[in-house]
Amino acid sequence: MKVSRRDLLLGTAGLTAGVFFTPVPWKVLDDVSIWTQNWPWIPQPAHGPVTTKLSSCTLCASGCSIRVRMAAGFPVGISGAASHPLTQGALCPLGFAAHQLNWHPARLREVRHHGRSASWEEASAAFEKACAEGPVAVIDGRSGRAASAVLQAFATKHNGSYEVVLNTEEKSLSPCAQWTGVPVNSLGYDLENARTVVSFGAPLLDGWGVPGRFTHLWSERAAGKTDPQLRLIQIEPSLSRTATNAWRWVPICQGTEALLAASLAKILIEEHLVSSPGPLPPASLTEAATQTGLTPTAIRDLAYAMVERRPTLVIGADENPAVAALNVLLGSLGVSGGIVKKPATPFAMPQTSAGRTPRRAVLVDSTVPWEYIAPSGAEVFRFAAWDGGGNRADWLLPAPGFLEELTDLPTPPTSAVAVYGIAPSLLIPSAQLKTAAEFAQQIDSTLPTVDQTIHARCEGIFHAHRGSVNSEKKFPVAGFESAAKLEEALRTGGIWLEDSSSAAALKCSLKEWPTDSPTRVSGNWANAWAAPVMPTLAAKLYRESSLRETPQRSQS
Amino acid sequence: MSARYGMVIDLDRCTGCGACMVACAVENNVPTSPARVTDRTGLTPMLVHKVSNGLEGSGHREVFIPVACMHCAHETPCVSVCPQQAVEVDQETGIVMQIPQRCLGCRYCMTACPYHARYFNWWDPSWPPGMEKTLNPGVATRMRGVVEKCNLCHARLHTAMERAAAAGKKEIDMADYVPACVEACPTNAILFGNLANPNDPVSQAVHSPDTFRLLARLGTEPKTYYKSHQAWVRALAERSPNGHVTEAQHV
Repeated sequence: MKVSRRDLLLGTAGLTAGVFFTPVPWKVLDDVSIWTQNWPWIPQPAHGPVTTKLSSCTLCASGCSIRVRMAAGFPVGISGAASHPLTQGALCPLGFAAHQLNWHPARLREVRHHGRSASWEEASAAFEKACAEGPVAVIDGRSGRAASAVLQAFATKHNGSYEVVLNTEEKSLSPCAQWTGVPVNSLGYDLENARTVVSFGAPLLDGWGVPGRFTHLWSERAAGKTDPQLRLIQIEPSLSRTATNAWRWVPICQGTEALLAASLAKILIEEHLVSSPGPLPPASLTEAATQTGLTPTAIRDLAYAMVERRPTLVIGADENPAVAALNVLLGSLGVSGGIVKKPATPFAMPQTSAGRTPRRAVLVDSTVPWEYIAPSGAEVFRFAAWDGGGNRADWLLPAPGFLEELTDLPTPPTSAVAVYGIAPSLLIPSAQLKTAAEFAQQIDSTLPTVDQTIHARCEGIFHAHRGSVNSEKKFPVAGFESAAKLEEALRTGGIWLEDSSSAAALKCSLKEWPTDSPTRVSGNWANAWAAPVMPTLAAKLYRESSLRETPQRSQS
Repeated sequence: MSARYGMVIDLDRCTGCGACMVACAVENNVPTSPARVTDRTGLTPMLVHKVSNGLEGSGHREVFIPVACMHCAHETPCVSVCPQQAVEVDQETGIVMQIPQRCLGCRYCMTACPYHARYFNWWDPSWPPGMEKTLNPGVATRMRGVVEKCNLCHARLHTAMERAAAAGKKEIDMADYVPACVEACPTNAILFGNLANPNDPVSQAVHSPDTFRLLARLGTEPKTYYKSHQAWVRALAERSPNGHVTEAQHV
């Protein structure tokens, strides 16, 4: 039979149409889909021995205890460890994804000099030259660490200054520190024994202080109760997370916190609601009512609510002397449930020192917030694990990231009791990464290392025979056979806790009512994140849920 | 005896921090997404909504409602519409399971779910270079083109079952099975347990007068309960226009 061109075309068309009545095209389509869904380069979890290690989170000064799940030598999950006496197993949202930060696209992995690649040798040579030419300043973001002691020793030996950038929680205590003469890091809020907490915009339920400390207290004593054991009064212009969950929210106009504090003080004094009257503030109730947006009755009610259930603790969002002075007026200094002085730690804490100006160079530690602006004219050597963009440093030096550095965690700011923990290095950092302390120690090899300082601190705790180590159980320090055993317990996630003691008296009297000072927006998890970037997954979830506004810098 | 796992979420204790969302995403290897992703195209197996009472001034109040799959026990909407039998209700646990290998991506289940608790994988899963080393080895990544949702951290249930089997027990110890969101909550707002066990705290908590379920009138018997002492919050579940919480002033 002769096959014509027409027959061929008809046959082809028939075959093509017929094939669609068979499962073949659908099966092929399905297989192609499955094949392309499972490209070999699509990431799959690595498998290997799974272990769990106890450590402490090092992303901020709180030092929450964490349980790190490791697989094939890498961290694959983080959860809170209940062994920490302050956090009791709580973590901030960012802590749960912090182990992914080391692979963040903004991770710094090389030395940069004015934006160009450079070497550690060049950076060391430049810093040594600067040290020889004039005074240097060492800037620390978290005082009291072993690394801080190394940096302070370096500054002292090289005729420089050692300065600390305070966070917002520490700043809220600084007026009381000035009036009592006690260093800021020796003062703390005794939240556990307070019955009324008056917050002037401090985000107490949104990452303030040690995450988990106040949220635990609030959830146990106040959440869902119409007459709670712990009364939280939130004075804030907008309905924040803390305000919406507070016993009472007092909305006031932005920037009138100091005026409201002064008018409250005046009512407390004039109506004899406090036993030790201080200087009468120069404020009128009518003016305060006009400016704050409250009625005079509402301000009076607020003053009465403050003294109804004592002890009352007043917390400012930032450094605001008028707000801090309310604590003096209410007699909340040096008493249980107020602002207390912590007992001295069994080891020496580095103190700040003022140096000569102008400075030739500034060495900025990786714990200093990215927004810190160094004094103009000085050559800036900035350590950082992540590049937050818009950097003004001359030298950008890559620091170890999360879980990559051996460090210790002294008492967090605002804590009323002394604690001490050690975060071991669970990941081996690349040779290209150095801490500021290691950098200083390379220049001056006579300085002690962080490891040696931590060792000396553990010996100090052991010989003081004070407190206990909280791990799976609570072990009194006096029960340890040797300092080495104690150090081992701390290096494997144990937290040393000072014995509870009665609050030491604090002498303070105000000669005149403090002058006004502007209150700035205080930090919470999202806007005062210590690192310049946010964990990728947390940024994604906040972006997709609109639960929280994330800073533009954290969007990557 | 079969279990019925469920939870009671105390909304009075929820501060809206989002720790449950982050812990859930890390545990279940939720990939990072392109920057153009929105709340409709993203992957948030646990999503915290913010709703308000609508009042102005100092009477204005807000509450945070964490929403994940409710694991409906009766006439489970996603099960009945799935043409591939990719959704199953595990009779032993009451967990509504999604089987990605069977899913063809038609998204009928997403339309049928009254809680909008299901999400579609629009893209191949990807992470920044090197970050794949931090993936949870107990959970496989899902492929592009399939639907996913909360499975009450099924990998953790498997681990608890293995532990029970190794100890020669037939039933798991509830201390071994705690979903990531429950573990992460800093205020202990989420209570998880076996609703079939009358002695379990969670099955006692569901009888509280303050406890309610979202869209209970649909009769799907969700196993996630909510609790609040505020009447306006309880009324929210019944009052929402389309019977959906996300319609109520989702900010």
